Parts: sequence; structure tokens; C-alpha cells
Amino acid sequence: MVEVEFKKIDGTSPGYYLVLLILTIVTLWGVYAWYLQLVYGHCVTGLSQRVPWGFGTAAICYLIGASAGSLIVSALSGVFGKEEFKIFSRSACLFALAMIVAAMLSIMQDIGNPENGLNVLAHFNFTSIFSWNAFLYSSYFVIGFIYLMAQFEEKKFLTKCLAVLAVAWAVLVHSGTGGIVGFVYSTELYHSSLTIPLFIVSAIVSGLGLLIPAYILAFRWTHRPLDRDLMWTLAKIMGALTILLLYCFAAEILDCAYVPGNQEAIRIYLFDFHYPYAWVFWFVQILGCILTVAILLSPWGKTDWGMIASGLIVAVAVYGERYTLITPGLGIPKDYVPGMIFKPYIVVPYYPAWTEYAMFIGLVTAAYLAWCIGLKIFAVLPERGEVVKK
Amino acid sequence: MISRRKFLVLAAVSSAAVATGKAFEFGRSFYNEEELEKELSKYEWGMVVLVDKCTECVKKIMEKEGITPEEFESGKKKVLPPCIKACNVANNVPEFENPRFECHLMRIIQVRIQENAEPLYFPLMCQECEHPACVEVCPTKASYKRADGIVVVDLHRCIGCRYCMVACPFDARVFLFKDPLEGLKVINPYAPIRKDGVPMKCEFCIWKIDTERAHGVKDPKPVCVEVCPYNALVFGNLKDPNSEISKIVRTSKVIRLRGSLGTDPKVFYKF
Repeated sequence: MVEVEFKKIDGTSPGYYLVLLILTIVTLWGVYAWYLQLVYGHCVTGLSQRVPWGFGTAAICYLIGASAGSLIVSALSGVFGKEEFKIFSRSACLFALAMIVAAMLSIMQDIGNPENGLNVLAHFNFTSIFSWNAFLYSSYFVIGFIYLMAQFEEKKFLTKCLAVLAVAWAVLVHSGTGGIVGFVYSTELYHSSLTIPLFIVSAIVSGLGLLIPAYILAFRWTHRPLDRDLMWTLAKIMGALTILLLYCFAAEILDCAYVPGNQEAIRIYLFDFHYPYAWVFWFVQILGCILTVAILLSPWGKTDWGMIASGLIVAVAVYGERYTLITPGLGIPKDYVPGMIFKPYIVVPYYPAWTEYAMFIGLVTAAYLAWCIGLKIFAVLPERGEVVKK
Repeated sequence: MISRRKFLVLAAVSSAAVATGKAFEFGRSFYNEEELEKELSKYEWGMVVLVDKCTECVKKIMEKEGITPEEFESGKKKVLPPCIKACNVANNVPEFENPRFECHLMRIIQVRIQENAEPLYFPLMCQECEHPACVEVCPTKASYKRADGIVVVDLHRCIGCRYCMVACPFDARVFLFKDPLEGLKVINPYAPIRKDGVPMKCEFCIWKIDTERAHGVKDPKPVCVEVCPYNALVFGNLKDPNSEISKIVRTSKVIRLRGSLGTDPKVFYKF
């Protein structure tokens, strides 16, 4: 039986306030960008008629994924019986809740008519995966919230049941998010049955990528001991799943490229460096994943800074994957008249505006800000980040 | 530590937050929907594009305006035949300088079987599919198909998620990135005036054909059909076996674009 004593952090040091200040400033930068978008409309973004989805939509997928990944870490002890991971159960759940709120905010940021935003709850469309997701996201938040409350109440059986439900829901939520893209049959680069499982894998990877640095720094800065072997186990899971991600990328691209009609689109996407898509694919998505695995395989990978670096790199790489999943399929023309050459055949590049960077980064920092404040208000971080068996 | 009472209250409030979806559904219509549905279901509006005539029209305009095929193919210059010009004015389609935000309900594309073949030109607009992908994906049912087959957007319900634009196999929708009033020189008070943050699409000029139908006009027509100097666009009721469009579809070699997707467009192209 593993006993873990959770304790609020003091949160009185200048360092703590400095972290809060930095996170607040970046968050406010994002809020300002959002304000500009609300006032002037989506013309402040880099979107266009041909690429109407960009950073904002990628942010939705990414933040939901990070939330799902964190919740799975939180439930490792409850669902899989890995008692030693109980030390992360509360704080990872809190992180998952912060991330899902950020994801829902990113939906509000991305839509062009936010005053009608609540219509997604009022008018359910059975055939729309997006409509299902509106229900899944809000219920996911409620389940995660009750799961955290059950942990506070030390209700062991209820916690275990809710952990199972929360993990199942996290998988469902992220499957739904993958379906938003994967079910679109009109775009050759979108329609793929691999998108949903790929979303789940990248969710866990990005969730771990964002959590590992947060944990190492939180324990380090609060002078609480942390079992490095536990962290290393999480880093190894992240590394193994990153290799699986690379495998999925290869399988998906080869599958798509096998269709002669898709080969021109694949050529532009992967090898035409006149557009941003190939750059992001090779130098953010693929290089990021390879670097992550390389760091973890090197002796440096087992150190704190090695794990932090690999976590952050893979977190960026997964965001790159979200970008390349969404934008090239729109920027490269659809084949309106199959079997004929049609013109004008114009590839539309998509370069995010600073407002889109600001809104996305602002949401990530807002989630971290909420987590840091949560560590001070709630007893979610263990006194000792190591297993004490009784 | 949180008390049990507090926990239960919080849990109940959170659950209620999810369930309240229905509470927002306070909009009710006051007209007789059944009657309207019955009237509209007598029609199934469709269009046939006579590609040879369109090609002739576009080629003449290119010649007159000095637009080379290369300029058109590279997208540097656009061809605006009378149908598109009239559509833009009649439907309050705004003009923006920035090409990223450029709005249109119809656009001309060029097709040919191989690079050295003679090019054909025709307009691409909303194909008013029988199984529209945009309606399928819309999270709020803001995009819906009327009983007469026309796919419309309820701007009061639309959240502006642009999923319809992404799902459309023909890129037939455009998004209003800016306030349309900024890009309108004249306003047609009979057609809808939209706001920024929502998509717009060709709706076969429903503001016009509905009014004409209500006034007993036998063959109501969208603006583009009316102004076409070549009679290259044939519009009509596919449910009426004696209508011109029904006869063409029945007897001529017409195709539908991207037929393999199974969306069954109601715009046909006669080559």
C-alpha cells in the first residue's frame, strides 16, 4: 500500500511570484491578441479563404491532446495499478483540467462568431463529429473535476472507478477530436483512418512533454525530493510513443502517396520548400521527434535537463504535427474535376500572424498559470515525490 | 480539505452545466413550418451549365480584356463574366483588396484533358448537393438543406467554425474575414447583408426565387441565369418532368463534379 501525503506549496518565495509574473505577462499578451481579433475580426490572423483553419484549430487539437495525455498520467495508479505513480495523480488531473479549459477557450478564440458559441450545446447535429465533441469536452471536464474531488475526499473506490471512466472519456474525447479532421472525405490529405489512433498517441506524448518539465521544475523549486526513476519511466514512455508516432507518420504518408492522384499533393507537402509545409514537417515535426528520441537514448537524457529538453522539444514537435495535419490539406488545391487538369492550380501558403502565436502561447501559459496557482491553493503536490510503502 | 457537502454541490453544479444545453434552446419559430415545407417540397432546384457556351463567353472576355491564358492559369488575372458581376452586386458580395479575404459565390475555372488540349471554362459554385458535406459537419445545424434542396446558412445560428468550408468538396464557401459593409459599394436591400465571422455561399438567390415563386412566377431564376448573354445556365425544377432542366438531364450527356464522393450535386455540367 502506497501512502502519499499531499501538501500545498508555500508559494511565498520571490521565485514563485516571478514565475507567476512571467506567465501572467505572456497570458496578457495572448488576451491582447484575442481582443484585437474580437475587434477587427479574423483578418488579424494569417488565415485565408483557402486555408480557413490554422494555428487556432491546431491549438484546439493540441490542448485537448495535452489534457488527455495528462489525465492518463493521473490515472496510471488508479487504472493500471501502478501505485508508485500516485504522487502524480492529483497534480496531473489538475493540469488536465487547466488544459481542457484552455482548449475550450481556444475554440471560443477560433470561431468567427463567438456570441453564438453556446449554440453548439443548444443545437445538436447527430452527424457532426464537432457537435459530439461539444458534449464530450464539457462532460470530460465534469468527469475530470469530480475525479479530482474524489481524490481530495480520499474516496478510494470512487477514485478508482472515476479514474477508469476519466481515461475512457479522455480517449473518447481525443478520438472525437481526431475524427474532426480524419472524417473529412473531401480533402485527400485529411481522410485517414489512422488519424484517430495517431491523435491518441500524440496526445499522450504531448501531455508527457508538457508535464515532465513542469514536475521536475516544481519539485526542484519547492525543494521537495523527487524520485528520478519515476520521472525516467515517464520519459521512457514518452520516448517509446515518439518512435510509434514516427512509425504512424511514415505509414500514413506512404498510404496516401500510394494513390497516384495524391502524389502531386504529397510532393508539394513534403518536398516543395517554397511553402511552409515542408519546412514544418521536416524541421519541426520529424526532426523534433528524432531529437527527442536521440536525447533520451543518450546518457544526458536521464538527467533532469535532458528530460526537460526532450519534453519541450517533443511538445513543439507534436504542435508541428497538428499544423501539418491541418494546413497542407487545405493549402493544396482539391481535385474538383478528377481526371482533368484544372487551373488556376494555386497552392496557398499559410503563415500564422503574431496574433495567432500570441493566442496559442497565451493559452498554454494560462494553463500553467492556473496550475501554479492551484498548487498553492490545493493540496495536489506530494510532500515527497517518491514512493513510501507502508 | 473540501467538505463532502461542498463536493456534492460542486459535482451537481458541474453536471448541470453539461445538461443545460437544452436550456439555451429558446428560439421558436412563429410561422407554419409544415405548410412551408409542403410548399417547398414541390420543387427540387437544380442547374445545368452548358460548358461550350461558357467557354465561348469566357474566351471572348479574355480576348476583349487582353487576359492571356497564362495570366488566368497562374491566377494573376481573373475573368469576371456577366453572371459573376451580377451575382456579386445582387448578393451583396463584398470586394476586399487583400486577396486572402476575397469573396465570391461563383468563380471560373479552366479544365483540359491534357496540357496541349483546348481549354474549357465554366463556373464553380455551391453544387447544392443532395447529401451535403457542409450540412453533415455543421455543429449547430446552421447549415441545412431546405425541402426544395437548396443548402442555406442560418447566420443567426452559425458560430463561424468554418468546418463547412473545410468539408466542402468544391471550396464553394467563403468566410467573411472583415465586416462586409467595408467592401460594399452598393447594397441590395432584398438580399441578405451578412456580418463578419460567418461563411457565405451561393444559395441560388433564394431571396429572389422565393419572392418570385410567392408571386406566382412560373420559372423563377437566380440572377446569374437571368443575365447570362449566352443562355449557358439552365435553372429549374428537377421534380417537374417537363422543365427544361429535367429534359436536359434526361437526354443529354451531363456530369456531376466529384461524383465518387456520393454527395450528389444538383449542378450538372454538359460538355
